[in-house]
Amino acid sequence: MSQSTLARLDDVHKRFGKIAALDGLDLTVNRGELLALLGPNGAGKSTAISILLGLQRPDRGMAGLFGEDPQSVEARQRIGIMMQEVNLPSVMRPRELIRQVSNYYPNPYDMPTVLEKLSLQQLADRPYGKLSGGQKRQVQFALAICGRPELLFLDEPTVGLDLKSREELWQVLRDLVHEGCSIVLTTHYLEEAEALANRVAVMAHGRVVAQGSVDEIRAHVSRKNVSYRSTLPRQTIEAWPEVLQWSEQSGRQQVVTRDAEALLRRLLAADAELSDVEVRRAGLAEAFAEITASAQSGNGKPS
Amino acid sequence: MTRGRSAADAYLGDIKVELTKMLRTPAFAVPTIVFPVMFYLLFGVLLGTARGNMQMGLYALAAYAVFGTMAPGLFGFGVTLAMEREQGLLTFRQALPAPPGAFLVARMVTAMVFVSLSTLLLILVATTIGKVPLTPAQGLLLYFVNVVGVLPFAAVGMFLGATASGNAAPAIINMIYLPMAFLSGLWVPLQFLPKMLQDVAPAWPAYHLAQLSMHTVDAPMMGTIGNHLAALVGVTVLFFFLAMRRLGNRGISLFGPARSSAGSARPLRQALSIGIVFISIGLIIAGVLGGQAPRKAAAATSDGAQGSGSATPVADSDSGAPPGVAAPDVPVIGSFDDGSAKAGYGIGWSAVDDKMRGGNSSVAQHLVAGGAGESAGALEVSGEIGTAIQYPFAGTSFLPNGDAAKSFAEQGFMDYSARKTLSFFARGDGRTYTLMLMGPVVDAIPTMYTFDAGPEWQQVRVPLHELGGVDLKRIKVISIGTMTPGPFRFQVDDVRID
Repeated sequence: MSQSTLARLDDVHKRFGKIAALDGLDLTVNRGELLALLGPNGAGKSTAISILLGLQRPDRGMAGLFGEDPQSVEARQRIGIMMQEVNLPSVMRPRELIRQVSNYYPNPYDMPTVLEKLSLQQLADRPYGKLSGGQKRQVQFALAICGRPELLFLDEPTVGLDLKSREELWQVLRDLVHEGCSIVLTTHYLEEAEALANRVAVMAHGRVVAQGSVDEIRAHVSRKNVSYRSTLPRQTIEAWPEVLQWSEQSGRQQVVTRDAEALLRRLLAADAELSDVEVRRAGLAEAFAEITASAQSGNGKPS
Repeated sequence: MTRGRSAADAYLGDIKVELTKMLRTPAFAVPTIVFPVMFYLLFGVLLGTARGNMQMGLYALAAYAVFGTMAPGLFGFGVTLAMEREQGLLTFRQALPAPPGAFLVARMVTAMVFVSLSTLLLILVATTIGKVPLTPAQGLLLYFVNVVGVLPFAAVGMFLGATASGNAAPAIINMIYLPMAFLSGLWVPLQFLPKMLQDVAPAWPAYHLAQLSMHTVDAPMMGTIGNHLAALVGVTVLFFFLAMRRLGNRGISLFGPARSSAGSARPLRQALSIGIVFISIGLIIAGVLGGQAPRKAAAATSDGAQGSGSATPVADSDSGAPPGVAAPDVPVIGSFDDGSAKAGYGIGWSAVDDKMRGGNSSVAQHLVAGGAGESAGALEVSGEIGTAIQYPFAGTSFLPNGDAAKSFAEQGFMDYSARKTLSFFARGDGRTYTLMLMGPVVDAIPTMYTFDAGPEWQQVRVPLHELGGVDLKRIKVISIGTMTPGPFRFQVDDVRID
């Protein structure tokens, strides 16, 4: 395992009854990167994470954390975790919970630092059960980072956060990456991946079906959005072979296509009055939809 | 900042959090600490020592100590575990670099702290309000037995917590906790329960801990220490094992690394599992069968006289003493008709009080004319019970194999095992009186049978073989008298042992 690889899964298989949750998954997490793990429900993201955390064992294949067994206490002392569905004891106060978890780590941040990083100073002594959903997420995040981890696992960290808290948390994540912390993040918010990730891995059917930078993933996808103002009737445009999808919103038409250049030529030829033309490459959302859709149809590679 | 934290910090931190959590949960903390003392005041003091029944006071102390031990084990492990399992907290904790078993250790220490609180409070109340004589050594032993005794209940609680849902767990555990306490004789002595329930009592872990608890305060214990330990260790191992398995199937390992589900070690582990289950079940069976209670007195009513057996058996009937001599074939041991209080054999009847034991009760007896039925005379005993010692007593005694030349400790035994019933007529001032049978163990609490003596003559019939714990082969003293403080007066006539 190279120095820069912090965690890896090699050809990992895991079945639950008849369902193959992971089907030969290969995944590496490198030092200093923020890896966003995307995929539809049932793609195997949670299983992959729980194997990396040592909560489950692969049926076949190898899982490593800092070159060690993921269940070793030494490896775990170098990671921080935030899980999606955890109810911490409601009668305990954030300060007490943070102190408890800090005790497990050899070199944790001191209390004021943790509270300040998450702006928890005002909430530190309020019972956890009395906090709002967003505040609870902040406390859980504090538990994830209090041990000064080299690698953070965050499962849907911003679910339930308002816009402002989400922006704040993103800033904390950027700061952490800047300080050299690596992060693995699962998320349903594609803009979260677009805003933060150095690298994206898209999972479907227990495997990684595409990975790379956000731009590279987008480039996997040939679809483009062409929007314009025109008086051309819908039937005319829908008859063209380049057009995958047509829609109209407040006088502005939009076409999804694989061949923007050919479409533009036709449009300009057919309507001299064509105005307000805009060509946009697909966002991660479209890329994600296309990649997983093509994986669903049995083809491992996006079209 | 390169200060390394030690594992001790992690263990202590977990203990602190667990303890704080439970102390901040009044629904758990208040009943756990207060209920045993409340029940003790009711059954042990109001119905026990306050009515002169010191034996009840002692029994209740030992019993409610066990009652106080059950809750922290069953609820502390059961309900909390079920809820935290459902809330994902166990899974989260498992992914943290906590030292192995820290969570279990913290839980266990917390349960033991709660047991300590309830036991110490109970001992305090029992020795002050309850006036139960407890030496520091007895108190310490009672405390220790119950603190360690939380383990089987913790194991059962863990198993339920691993099985039941968070919502169902409190109801399920209550349905086990309350009946088990009752059926193990923690609320009312087993003698008051139907025979069938008495017979199955050894099936409950609380029964075994209660017997050990009785033993620590020198109250009579049924079965042997070995029986009870075997049953308790068996229950602990079996349920702990089942709980860990159950949690393991749910993907939770409280002992750090979970072992791979596949691998060559599997048959070995299966064999080991089966071995653990068999050995623990074997221990339980050995304990349960050996701990079977001897027969106890059923409440017997005679010709109108209300009598209730509140006997508690003596620890060990074969305490090394040789069996007594066979009783002479004379059923009457007190007719009081010929101008004498003497029986046909032995010493007595003679007035006895508690002055030798440091008490200040007084007693006098004399023969009176006009006994029960048409008989010529009866024995009248009167005096006053003082409160200088914890178990005051005054009345009249008969030593069937007594020898006036010997000290009390050297007096011989009489074998009454062939006789079935001890009966006598009594009348008096309406107070509660007690028949006592004393065997070889002088310091032990004698077997007692209480009855009320009203203004009319009434016959009291005591079925000897249904009195629990009394060693009929070795009877040293038969006494009739009272323990209730205050002045008393009663007459007795026609004492027979048939």
